[in-house]
Amino acid sequence: MNLAPYAEFAKRAFSREATYRAEVFTRVGSVLLRVFLLSTLWTALYRNNGAKQGISLESMITYATLALLLDLIYGVNGAYVIRQKIREGSIAIDFMRPISVPLYVFADTVGQTGFALVQIVPALVLSFPLLGLMHAHVGGPSGGIAALGFVASVALGFLLNFLIDLIMATATFWTMEIFGIQIMVQFISSLLSGSLVPLYFFPNGLQKIAFALPFAGLYNAPLSIYIGKWQGRDIALGLGEQALWLALIWFAAMAFWRRGERRVVVQGG
Amino acid sequence: MAAAINMIIQASHLTKQFKSVRRKEGVLGTLATLFSHDYEFKDAVTDVSFDLEPGELVGYIGPNGAGKSTTIKMLTGILVPTSGHCTVNGIVPWQDRQANGRGIGVVFGQRTQLYWDLPLVESFRLLKAIYGVSQASYDRHLKKFSELLGLDEFMRTPVRQLSLGQRMRGDFAAAMMHEPAVVFLDEPTIGLDVVAKEAIRNFIASVNKERGTTFILTTHDLNDVEKLCARIILIDHGRKLYDGSIDAIKKRYGPNRLLTADFLTDAAGVDIRMPGVAVLERDGQRIRLEFERERVRADELIVALSRQADLKDVTIAEPELETIIRQIYERGLDRSGPAPQ
Ligand SMILES: Nc1ncnc2c1ncn2[C@@H]1O[C@H](COP(=O)(O)OP(=O)(O)O)[C@@H](O)[C@H]1O
Ligand SMILES: [Mg+2]
Repeated sequence: MNLAPYAEFAKRAFSREATYRAEVFTRVGSVLLRVFLLSTLWTALYRNNGAKQGISLESMITYATLALLLDLIYGVNGAYVIRQKIREGSIAIDFMRPISVPLYVFADTVGQTGFALVQIVPALVLSFPLLGLMHAHVGGPSGGIAALGFVASVALGFLLNFLIDLIMATATFWTMEIFGIQIMVQFISSLLSGSLVPLYFFPNGLQKIAFALPFAGLYNAPLSIYIGKWQGRDIALGLGEQALWLALIWFAAMAFWRRGERRVVVQGG
Repeated sequence: MAAAINMIIQASHLTKQFKSVRRKEGVLGTLATLFSHDYEFKDAVTDVSFDLEPGELVGYIGPNGAGKSTTIKMLTGILVPTSGHCTVNGIVPWQDRQANGRGIGVVFGQRTQLYWDLPLVESFRLLKAIYGVSQASYDRHLKKFSELLGLDEFMRTPVRQLSLGQRMRGDFAAAMMHEPAVVFLDEPTIGLDVVAKEAIRNFIASVNKERGTTFILTTHDLNDVEKLCARIILIDHGRKLYDGSIDAIKKRYGPNRLLTADFLTDAAGVDIRMPGVAVLERDGQRIRLEFERERVRADELIVALSRQADLKDVTIAEPELETIIRQIYERGLDRSGPAPQ
């Protein structure tokens, strides 16, 4: 397959994002604010109860801050344009071209996320000293293997997150209104992925459910590796589990897409 | 199917039936709609068959809602037929969308394929990447299309700021950038002024002639068709009514020609009694007649007229394609003319 067009799509998405300069600052500002609020909250919670589940306050603040950075990476939702294309009927134009629509949308997502990585993340890291003033200390990875594992785990999480978004967008082929499904999945995901509260703090039953679902691969896996909660064998197992889920959901997403594609109805002109 | 081997487009018994859930009112209605099995069916295209040879330029004609766009969408791989079969460049469009996409170009009059926020030339560059057009071909095409369609003056303008005529010209260039063997045009001149229509007709004719590109032109503007197409396919209510040359349809369904005679004196006394000739209108020195082309020879008719009074001028007109087609829609194919031989 010729990947050149997709490289072009990614490049264009990147430069398109770069034109929204003002938005960069508001996004960075809002993340900083949330980092501040969360570290204040966790500090207060820890003062009363001490270290929890073997996670120190410092690690907890690191966890919460990185979770907010991951929000930026996962928050792109490039697949959402599919919904718009189906509603407007402009999906017809994509279908008559020699391109794979999911891959095209993926390339666009990569471009957008790439921009978030090279612009927003450094801006945030540069403002970490500022956080230091706010007593929101962010620690480095617990070691070299943890750093590598973290990057690999985020990459897997990124793919998984894209596929979840793709599946939801594909549902538009059946029902034009996916907003409700979207909100529901987002709610479940934000709760059970460990993006707000580490899964280790959950009551036993809920924790078992969360660990059994693919959402844990989005936040819990990379962050557990980063703060050193997982070591050695656990890292390998965690990554393996993520990869397994990814393969499964990839097959499901592609099958779902093919079925949707077949039943497309384009009205007008 | 041996004869069909060298056909560039084949449609056999193409049928598309749309199925939609009958909507219900209100919030509970929306919920009920989700689980409803109360369907509405709409036969958009029924049992349509035709073959196109490479290099043909065919008009696909029908009134609004006839099923033209639906047919085009099946041939371009956008819609999956309910039944029947079609191939384009030997490929089943909906089964191999991407392969099909490489060999076709499409212009939708009511939907642009240009990128709304980008300058026109950026859309072309992106298409170059999508279709893997070499830099040399790209430069050559762009130069040629700019000349034919006058794109230079708005090449750097964002598409959303273009007039409809400019946008359509851009869309045409976009559809041809990768030298497709087959081009589908769905109402490409809708809403355009005379000048833009003319530019686009010339463009189609020149690409068809020089490259041998096959065109299917969907339109309700029969001037497009008369100027460009030798062959037309007529559909109505999703069914094919006619497939053949414009000449043949005129001969078969428009058997009468019109003759207008101007005399030097008053024409009140002129009385023509020939089988196959009917007087339509008398107006002072002018008389208008209708005569059957198969039964009456024009020169004999003129001689007969000139015997009765001094002729000043005579004009003979062919029936308008539009009139014939309107008659076919109104009366159906069989009763609007003599039965096919
Ligand atoms: N997505 C759809 N769902 C239901 N009916 C449709 C749909 N698209 C088209 N139709 C109906 O099918 C018929 C043919 O439509 P179309 O092919 O667009 O006609 P044309 O292009 O000749 O004007 C029309 O009656 C139209 O209302
Ligand atoms: Mg139409």
